[in-house]
Amino acid sequence: MAEDVAFKHIEKTSLIGKRIKKPDAPAKAIGKTRYINDMVLPQMLYGKILHAGRPHAEIISIDTSEAEKLAGVHLVITAKDTPDLKLGFVKDNAPLKSKVLCERDEVAAVAAESEAIAAAAIKLIKVSYKDLPGVFSAKDGLKKDAPQIQENFPGNKSLKFKFKHGDLAEAEAGSDIILDHVFNVHYVTHCCMGTSCAIADFDHNGKLTIYSQTQYPYNYKMDLAPALGIDPGDIRVIQPTTGGSFGAKLDVYPYEPVAAILAQKTGRPVKVLFDREEEFINSPTRQPAAIHLRTGCTSDGILTFRSADVLMDNGAYTSWGPTVPVIMMRTVSGHYRVPVIDFKAQAVYSNNAYAGSFRGYGNVQMTYATAQHMDMFAEELSEKHGMDPIEFHLKNAQKSGEVTPQKSYLRECVLAECLTTAAAASDYVNKHKTYTEACTEEGRYKRGIGLASSIHNAGGAKIHKSDGCGTILKMDDYARVTVITGASEIGQGIDAVISQIVSEELGVPPEHVTLVNNDSDIGPWDVGVHASRTTFIAGNGAKRAAIKAKKQILAAASKQANVTAEELDLRGGYVVQDKDGAAVIRLDRMLRQMHFQPTPDVVMVSDYYEPNSELEGKDHISDHSAAYSHAVHIAEVVVDTYTGEVKVEKVTMAQDVGRVINRMGLEAQMEGGLAFGLGFALSEEMIFEEGRLLNPSFRDYKVPTAPEMPEIEMHFIESDCEEGPYGAKGIAELPTIVIAPAIANAVYNATGIRFLNPPMSPEKVARAIWEKKQADS
Amino acid sequence: MSEIERYIAPNQLDDALEALAGGPVTIVAGATDLTPQITGGKRVYKATLMNIQHIEGLNAVTKKDGKIRIGSLVTVSEIRGNPMLKKHGGILCQAANHFASEQIRNAATIGGNICNASPAGDMIIPFLVLGAAVELARWQDDRIETRSVPLDEFFTGPGRSVARDDELLTAVIFDVPPENSIGFFRKSGPRPALEISTVSIGIGGDFSDGTLKNVRVAFGAVGPTALRGKLTEAALEGKTLNQDVIQAAALAARQDVSPIDDIRATKWYRTHLIGVFTEELLNNVCQN
Amino acid sequence: MKKHAITLTVNGEERDLIVPSNRTLLDALRDDLGYTDTKYGCGTGECGACTILVDGMTTINGCLTLAATMNGKSITTAAGLARNGHLHPVQEAFIENDAIQCGFCTPGMVLKTISLLDENPRPTEAEIRHGLEGNICRCTGYTKIVEAVQDASRRITGSNVSAIGE
Repeated sequence: MAEDVAFKHIEKTSLIGKRIKKPDAPAKAIGKTRYINDMVLPQMLYGKILHAGRPHAEIISIDTSEAEKLAGVHLVITAKDTPDLKLGFVKDNAPLKSKVLCERDEVAAVAAESEAIAAAAIKLIKVSYKDLPGVFSAKDGLKKDAPQIQENFPGNKSLKFKFKHGDLAEAEAGSDIILDHVFNVHYVTHCCMGTSCAIADFDHNGKLTIYSQTQYPYNYKMDLAPALGIDPGDIRVIQPTTGGSFGAKLDVYPYEPVAAILAQKTGRPVKVLFDREEEFINSPTRQPAAIHLRTGCTSDGILTFRSADVLMDNGAYTSWGPTVPVIMMRTVSGHYRVPVIDFKAQAVYSNNAYAGSFRGYGNVQMTYATAQHMDMFAEELSEKHGMDPIEFHLKNAQKSGEVTPQKSYLRECVLAECLTTAAAASDYVNKHKTYTEACTEEGRYKRGIGLASSIHNAGGAKIHKSDGCGTILKMDDYARVTVITGASEIGQGIDAVISQIVSEELGVPPEHVTLVNNDSDIGPWDVGVHASRTTFIAGNGAKRAAIKAKKQILAAASKQANVTAEELDLRGGYVVQDKDGAAVIRLDRMLRQMHFQPTPDVVMVSDYYEPNSELEGKDHISDHSAAYSHAVHIAEVVVDTYTGEVKVEKVTMAQDVGRVINRMGLEAQMEGGLAFGLGFALSEEMIFEEGRLLNPSFRDYKVPTAPEMPEIEMHFIESDCEEGPYGAKGIAELPTIVIAPAIANAVYNATGIRFLNPPMSPEKVARAIWEKKQADS
Repeated sequence: MSEIERYIAPNQLDDALEALAGGPVTIVAGATDLTPQITGGKRVYKATLMNIQHIEGLNAVTKKDGKIRIGSLVTVSEIRGNPMLKKHGGILCQAANHFASEQIRNAATIGGNICNASPAGDMIIPFLVLGAAVELARWQDDRIETRSVPLDEFFTGPGRSVARDDELLTAVIFDVPPENSIGFFRKSGPRPALEISTVSIGIGGDFSDGTLKNVRVAFGAVGPTALRGKLTEAALEGKTLNQDVIQAAALAARQDVSPIDDIRATKWYRTHLIGVFTEELLNNVCQN
Repeated sequence: MKKHAITLTVNGEERDLIVPSNRTLLDALRDDLGYTDTKYGCGTGECGACTILVDGMTTINGCLTLAATMNGKSITTAAGLARNGHLHPVQEAFIENDAIQCGFCTPGMVLKTISLLDENPRPTEAEIRHGLEGNICRCTGYTKIVEAVQDASRRITGSNVSAIGE
């Protein structure tokens, strides 16, 4: 109806940078969301796994007869039932084991009518073990007489990485100061609030539907298939809502094929769900590492070289953990100009727990070391040469247009702005001076301020042949939009971002955009939620798809309005004149007109966005991400020098976000990411004794609680990334990466003590202060 | 597998005690310790599970004849919010405020916390400082027989006490502290509450003119049971508090305790903290 | 295992059920009655995902409580907070302030907040943080949750609506 549009003018507005609510939040707030943990399928059986509970042993015999006799038990399986099925990166793992290589090893599994019966049946399985001497550190694993852990990996040597650039000897000779330290980064784990769960169901054609918490659904098929001996094409992955991921669900772990094997053999759906203790013992960890870092610098404060020799405890099997040097070898430099680099990393098999991917992926470990070296230089140069600490950082800070020796192109680099913004906002230089002077004075409570910075990939990381994401967008006759995207929602908020982007392009409210992204039979390919990539990659994909749809609509509208498509726009649910916003036709009417005509013109578009990055490659010299970003954190702490308690009072962060898309979601990612780094720095630690985890509970593994979190002041620096959607970059890992060394540097500022081995637990800090006092007196 | 053959929830103490006399019984009230112990395999259910929450007369806090009596079913939350206890046993409220989370405080009972006999039991410390005794009741010759055991004689080891299998802890009783009494509680950990104490400590006594009398000091998580700090008490008794006395008390406190190394802390750190907290609390006393 | 018939009033509805003596209230709510909005996070009372309200405003951990001991009690879960099609102001505040990421801790957090604001309608930030310490969130770092509680406090006190929403 023409009267609908008469005199109606709609101004151009933008949602980009605004605070957008998450579409899935209301259902979560009222508890209506159905998590995988809550799901029950008709005829479903409950699977339970018997874990070895010992680090290294031959399995002499397994007697499952008592368990099989228990009423309600449908099936008991052992490695004998699953020969030749392998999983993992280098296919060194199996769903069920014939030999025990670590505490969590899956020895047998049961499918039963109820969880209680399955748990009872597990206790009836009798296993006779012959314990073997074990390897419980990477160092011990390299010893000549060390027990061999994995048959196919002589000398216990697992993955190995190398990167070399420039003449190290020459650079060392040209250095006035050389720092040389070993940083031991410890075991921590994800602690997703929803424990691990998989539900498997086979149909009569042999096709598996697996309900999974994976954050990597399309590669998951490829990774799961060999563990089941079926074709990846015969797997459908459904992703119900998950209670957290943070990297823990990037790989396939044995409980998933075990659920599938039980389902295949019983012909019934089978659910495997961990309790919290199982979750602690049987989940991946962050990759621990001993980082021997050497860095050189001139007395003018110019960095000359950096060498890093990284030794990693691989644990018994190779998951994503030991691949983290892929990121380490780039972030070892790349925010500061380091002309000469020598990076080596070796992973060594042991009988310990094994690591997976974890938010920050290698860079949490590397930055803990590099950012402390930067602080040590700043301290020394300031003391001996009176150099302003920020000036030292700025001298070495890389700038737009620079290319790192690893061939990372820093197209839009605002590290200097991050440094000056955070330093000014926190009054870093003055406070640092004041606290340094107060450090040696008497007194129980000491204040400190510490600065750290890092770089991370912010436009994906092309470790697969494609780092792309597919999008299918359709509009119905009522101007409602459905976006089928490869990108997964795991609580991080991509659904809100995609709704916002589509809304921005098509002029419909974000609430009118529905996301479909939880079924691999429906969604197009994507490489998963990881590497701070989803807003960048899937956001670009959604934007491109929306632009295609918009072009199609405006082309149709232009015919009707007798103007060119370029003169039209979509705003507020109308086709409008671009120049003055004069409404031409209501969008839903336009779509119906396009649809119901002799040659129907229905809006159904698709897009596959592949970022313009280069494949990581074997020699690791490539521009593997479409963007890189930097962040600076400044932490202010109070140290109780008697009890060793470190209270982080305030964190000032400045991060290159490219461009703010959903401001509220961005803040939330910063705050949440920071909490991970804070727990890593201060309280979280998995304590192992000969391969056994001693603290598998929230009581003894201390994730941060509400009173421990600091005030956070955020500064988003908008570098306007040319390739990113509206200029945005990926953001979610840097907050986890940078905070820990900022705290360590602040603790140094307060106490004069360097903590090379996190966590800075109260006991460790108190002990170090006490020992220093003893030594001083 | 343990099988519960009988579940009872008596309203009267007689019935409860009769049931206890009749055979193995698992007693449950708030279940905040019991459930994790069962789940973790540290305890198994006995043939009878008895819910004591409905027993009349065990859930009151009363002040009468110079005594304060806290029924064993009184929850930690009730202690935390009790105005009379704030006035006459403030150290109890301090400990209650630092006890686990509110969800647990709402369910956890005083009787349960004491009977669980954890060396780290947070409510035990203030009761030791208040010189409390526990009342134990049992069914004997067709009637209720009670006895009183001073709390510092109650514990015999981790999870163990002098309470017999047929006895039920019915109340904790202590003298109303005099007007000039003080009491301070401190537990370790950067978190105010949801944390097992690495160590905990309570100090109390009568304080006038800068001098402490009738001093009681108690330590948690530094030995097989929560314990009184006899050397520390001796170092403080009748002394006018000054930095020398405080230092001497802190030294005595370190000698009072015999902690172990475990995953939560080393012996060194626990001993160190005991000294630090003793000093801190005594400084609080001075500033009071 | 001995079983008992018990009656629970859950979100205003009287429900009869038969439970083994050792069944936790959490399992009874989730598996027997279908209140899957109450979450299992640890089973040991340390994470607060199973927080529920009992007989009004008292929060407890469903995972620690034996169902048999709750006979005759009235229980509120997150699913029972909406009134006349309107979400509880605390739920509104959590949504508006982006206090929800994976959402697994949210029902427990919401119930804890309701109880907190009932006792103390205008809490300080420190009181909020102390009040929430029995509820672990792994996603948000708590900042947005604290902001949501502050917002909920304003919504409740500003409109003179009691924290229970009735």
